[in-house]
Amino acid sequence: MNREEIFKLIIRHAQEVIPGLAGHTFRPQDRLHDLGANSVDRAEILMLALESLSLNIPLIDLYGPNNIGELADLLHEKTGAA
Amino acid sequence: MKKPAPPETIITGIGVTSAVGQGREAFACGLFNGSQAFGVMRRPGRQKESSFLGAEIQSLAHPEGISPQSLRTASFSAQVAVATLYEAWQDAGLDEVDPSRVGLIVGGSNFQQRDLALTYESYAGRTLYLRPNYGLSFMDTDLCGLCTAQFGIRGPAYTVGGASASGQVAIIQAIQAVQNHEVDACIALGALMDLSHWECRALQSLGAMGSNRYADDPARACRPFDRDRDGFIYGECCGAVVVERDASIVRSGARPYARLSGWGMVMDGNRNPDPSLEGEVRVIQTALQRAGCTPEEIDYINPHGTGSLIGDETELKAIVACRLSNASLNATKSIIGHGLSAAGTVEMIATLLQMQAGRLHPTRNLDNPIDPSLHWARQDSVIRRVENALTLSMGFGGINTAICLRKYS
Repeated sequence: MNREEIFKLIIRHAQEVIPGLAGHTFRPQDRLHDLGANSVDRAEILMLALESLSLNIPLIDLYGPNNIGELADLLHEKTGAA
Repeated sequence: MKKPAPPETIITGIGVTSAVGQGREAFACGLFNGSQAFGVMRRPGRQKESSFLGAEIQSLAHPEGISPQSLRTASFSAQVAVATLYEAWQDAGLDEVDPSRVGLIVGGSNFQQRDLALTYESYAGRTLYLRPNYGLSFMDTDLCGLCTAQFGIRGPAYTVGGASASGQVAIIQAIQAVQNHEVDACIALGALMDLSHWECRALQSLGAMGSNRYADDPARACRPFDRDRDGFIYGECCGAVVVERDASIVRSGARPYARLSGWGMVMDGNRNPDPSLEGEVRVIQTALQRAGCTPEEIDYINPHGTGSLIGDETELKAIVACRLSNASLNATKSIIGHGLSAAGTVEMIATLLQMQAGRLHPTRNLDNPIDPSLHWARQDSVIRRVENALTLSMGFGGINTAICLRKYS
């Protein structure tokens, strides 16, 4: 999966966890927190993404990105490493 | 020096959800019409290798203001609780009460079993990706968190377990919380006990849940106090009542349903499911004494009446032993099924609605009462003015509770 596909994957899971984002136009600089995700929602979104990518890494390894774009970059990097 | 009498407590709001209707009006209509919704249960997670009879809620209307984000991770028990509490909240006008003076006591423990079973089955073989929210939602107190967040409750909120008496235990705790001035208004909520196929199987094996012998005619399966009963038939339900001190009600439009005149809770010292005549007599006497009420003054009894072989007989013996044979009675569970943790609260609401209407609902399937000498409301609803009522609950593990209600005037 390329970086753009991973970005879209994050969007899909964010909309699944926060149905109110269905009509939102996502940008790479969007922060999950600013979109209404609390810490549990964020963990849910990350876990759904990990499963979709069949990544077997601890959730804590995904802490650090400041926005969805950076998260897509990190996940892309992890899929490459895997 | 004589101890001062505790403040009088009243019920100022009710909310109810059951298989025969959501909301007090639909519920009352279902009761007085002797409706039923029994059938083979179809909810996911409630059948495996075999199926069970019961009454399931067909559709649930969510109140405005609850976000889909919250609903997504809320168990069915929690979703029903929010909808039910909303009705009670509006009924009592709790928006006018200081949120720090409102409490919530949830009756029931381990009531999200089907949700847990579905999670285990769904994530079997891929536990690595278990939804993180499970770390919150597996605890019954998630329901307290959800409801206090939704309604802005800032007083104490916790769960209390008392098996099938949980609903009444929650009401008793709520009475004490307002009598002690811990809060001004306390909501007692009997949580929907969401059984999975695991609990259904075990309860049937235990001899508590009725058999499938009426599978071809499920409407006849639930038959408390009838000679052909063979166990309880499950029914999804949830009830919420708002308890306040009589003297603290200054809100305009406050419309008390009844006084909570007396209550009792006693244990049998018995871990098993079997009832105790001695325990039941003792709890009835305790409640009557606290209410300052003679047995002859009780007009109506809402018994526990599950359809249990020994339980129903024991309960009627206790009623007779307590000189309550002149009171009218019926069996709410014959219409809605046994709500387990919710039963005590929902049946109190059934009692309040009957007191308000001056009418008793019929008892379904009471073709051959095990004690025909008692004053049953059987095929049809009957006109009956109720000044004083008694409601009873019993739970596995030797738990007995009783609450007396007096008409508010």
